[in-house]
Amino acid sequence: MDRKKHRIMMVSDFFYPNFGGVENHIYYLSQCLLKLGHKVVVVTHAYGNRSGVRYMTGGLKAYYVPWRPFVMQNSFPTLFPSLPIIRTILIRERITIVHGHQAFSTLCHETLMHSRTMGYRVVFTDHSLYGFSDAGSIHMNKVLQFTLADVSQAICVSHTSKENTVLRSGLPPEKVFVIPNAVDTAMFKPAVVQPSRSEIVIVVISRLVYRKGADLLVEVIPDVCRLHPNVRFIVGGDGPKRVRLEEMREKHSLQDRVEMLGAVPHAQVRSVLISGHIFLNSSLTEAFCIAILEAASCGLLTVSTRVGGVPEVLPDDMIILAEPDPGDMVLAIERAISMLPKVDPQVMHHRMRELYNWHDVAKRTEIVYDRALKCPNQNLLERVSRYLYCGVWAGKLFFLVMIVDFLFWRLLELWQPAEDIEEMPDLTLPHISNKETLQETE
Amino acid sequence: MFWRTLNERNPNRVALRLALHRRRLTQVLSAAAVPAPQHRRFFLFPVSRTQKLGRFSSALHLRWLLGTDPEAQPRKKPETSKLLVMDHHLASDSPQVRPRWRKVAYGGMQPGFDDNHTDESFLEGMVMNANVVRRDMLKVMLDSVSISEYLCIVALVVLVWTYTLESTIDESRLLCIDVSLLVLGFLILLFTQEKISLSILVHHYFLNISFFIMGLYVLAPIYQTLTRSISSDSIWALTVSLLVIHLFLHDYSESTVNAPGALKNPALTSCISVNASVVASVFIASRLPSRLHVFAIMLFSLQVFLFGPLVTYCIKKYSFRLHLCFSISLMVVTLRFVYMLHCLLFVLLLSLLVFVNVVCPYWLIRIQEYKFEINGPWDEAKLCFAITD
Repeated sequence: MDRKKHRIMMVSDFFYPNFGGVENHIYYLSQCLLKLGHKVVVVTHAYGNRSGVRYMTGGLKAYYVPWRPFVMQNSFPTLFPSLPIIRTILIRERITIVHGHQAFSTLCHETLMHSRTMGYRVVFTDHSLYGFSDAGSIHMNKVLQFTLADVSQAICVSHTSKENTVLRSGLPPEKVFVIPNAVDTAMFKPAVVQPSRSEIVIVVISRLVYRKGADLLVEVIPDVCRLHPNVRFIVGGDGPKRVRLEEMREKHSLQDRVEMLGAVPHAQVRSVLISGHIFLNSSLTEAFCIAILEAASCGLLTVSTRVGGVPEVLPDDMIILAEPDPGDMVLAIERAISMLPKVDPQVMHHRMRELYNWHDVAKRTEIVYDRALKCPNQNLLERVSRYLYCGVWAGKLFFLVMIVDFLFWRLLELWQPAEDIEEMPDLTLPHISNKETLQETE
Repeated sequence: MFWRTLNERNPNRVALRLALHRRRLTQVLSAAAVPAPQHRRFFLFPVSRTQKLGRFSSALHLRWLLGTDPEAQPRKKPETSKLLVMDHHLASDSPQVRPRWRKVAYGGMQPGFDDNHTDESFLEGMVMNANVVRRDMLKVMLDSVSISEYLCIVALVVLVWTYTLESTIDESRLLCIDVSLLVLGFLILLFTQEKISLSILVHHYFLNISFFIMGLYVLAPIYQTLTRSISSDSIWALTVSLLVIHLFLHDYSESTVNAPGALKNPALTSCISVNASVVASVFIASRLPSRLHVFAIMLFSLQVFLFGPLVTYCIKKYSFRLHLCFSISLMVVTLRFVYMLHCLLFVLLLSLLVFVNVVCPYWLIRIQEYKFEINGPWDEAKLCFAITD
């Protein structure tokens, strides 16, 4: 079927050179969409002195808009001053769909707001789970309600994440698509020569913060080392809780059995993973855990806490789930150790290639874009009156904000007409050979 | 807004909201599961989820049910293969059975289902209002008595301050009040704490109190000259604001009372409130003429502010009826004395006590209906062990 080719703008505060789940997702999804023939442009804020327009692999154009990050890599929230530059980029690249990522990104919310004002179709992807009861979450959910009051379609990375997003934002469930992340299986291949199973190595790679369950590790590691003398741990990653882990090492004299690697650059994650047999993930909350996919792709058996979207990620024979309780986790590790002889890393890797594939994700996202474009384009009053449902006072405030945005846009149209903005011709690259990181499947 | 006006018109508000809720929930869930033309059949479809809803609902939930999108997506025409296996109520006009939908993320798109397919098990794990305490009006009113008791204690302190500043009470009478309060406090402690022995009394309390009194007496000259350069108006204004802060931030749950054996870390707000009361006492004391006056008033104020909560906590713990009698008699005494002082203040105090004891409990119970606490598999896991750094 000859699908229409879209011109997509991905927008988020989180993109390369920063490393993380959202950044990887945007990059790989953009690359696969480029392969399918669409045009993709990424908009993010400037990183250090990396500012301006850059071209990445495959002709992926990245606009590093010169705003400084404010807190936690987010740009400073300015409501209206971002409209001119976003408008310029949208007209210049002749964008048809705007795709925003991550509820925590202020740039994403602002850009989606301006895009809706200008009449573009908008898709939003949510990558994290949030609570409902503390002050930060309440504020975040209100902002999300504002953005999603008038979104064309939404995507979540797991079914638990879909339930969470629907409750937080009040979207009708049929507007939310569940498209999980995937893993680059060409990069994460198991070792050619397996490490010996006489000494079992358990690998942990995560940021050592409270949210990722570093405190659980502090309780679990000594117990496991005591019960199984042939088990060794490798802990990669850095963070505020690293001190506690070092103290635990000293207290139980586990210096030769627990190796702390510090922060592991993304390029070396694979070499750390293939030196182990079991991957341990102790997070307290996860919408979708890509680290587990990377470990499974390298042939490791995974032990994880049963939180958030983790139970949906892998089939039962590749992952062992435990409650976020030290005793239960120790039992799960024991089960994993007993299951280890039956595990063949190459078989696991081949299964992962079937189960997760970025090209599949791109095709499913394409369906979402097609659906988004079929949404009727309403006039201003109908659109803006949706914001009134957001709350007693908030609804009226949001209504006013959108009206002002609309007026500002009209002013810009008079002041800097769209005809004066030069449209960028498309860059057609020669056919790219197969020697690249992304794997093609037929 | 639609649901608000609906509530106001109908007298039986809760029943209507529940009915609307049930009907809409059924409608939305079934409408999500089956294409539009057939959803009317599902008004009678029993959805087990309604039992969890109880009598609480909220604007957010209703808004979700009603949908923020008045123009819903045009539904696709039902193909024969698109009917659910779990759908028992529809007449069977689908010959082939497609595989069941599973709540998994691997394996790509599930055959026969769209990515935005909303299954029957959607929001199955959601638990609403699991930790919410259902309150009873009488119990809340009885609990609020301890708040009004403390208000009366502070009012009595302010009364004594006023009389002392007007020189109605002279220093010898003040010292008598101090000593009698001290003795009374000790007696109450002795009476209400069964496990206390004379040696603990002497060691723990008596010795500390003597050091405390000695320290106050020695430092009295400092307090006397502390605010000599500040005008009286500023002092009254500051004192009033400090007392308001003290009342606002005071720990009424008495979780930080230092009863023997208690080991609790006080919260920041209770520290601030204690400090505010002490500073207010110091300001008032600095306006008095002689050193003995200063010592007497400081002793009185600090006795009440620092040891008052302990005494009331012991009474409350010993017997609730005693606590109730004590509080009511305290309120009556306070109101009488304030009436003797000034009529307007009496009216203010009376209205404040009525507000705290009657209006606030009623208001709390009214707005509890709107409570909507959501828990589910998306919650961050709570660690069951304490993190010892």
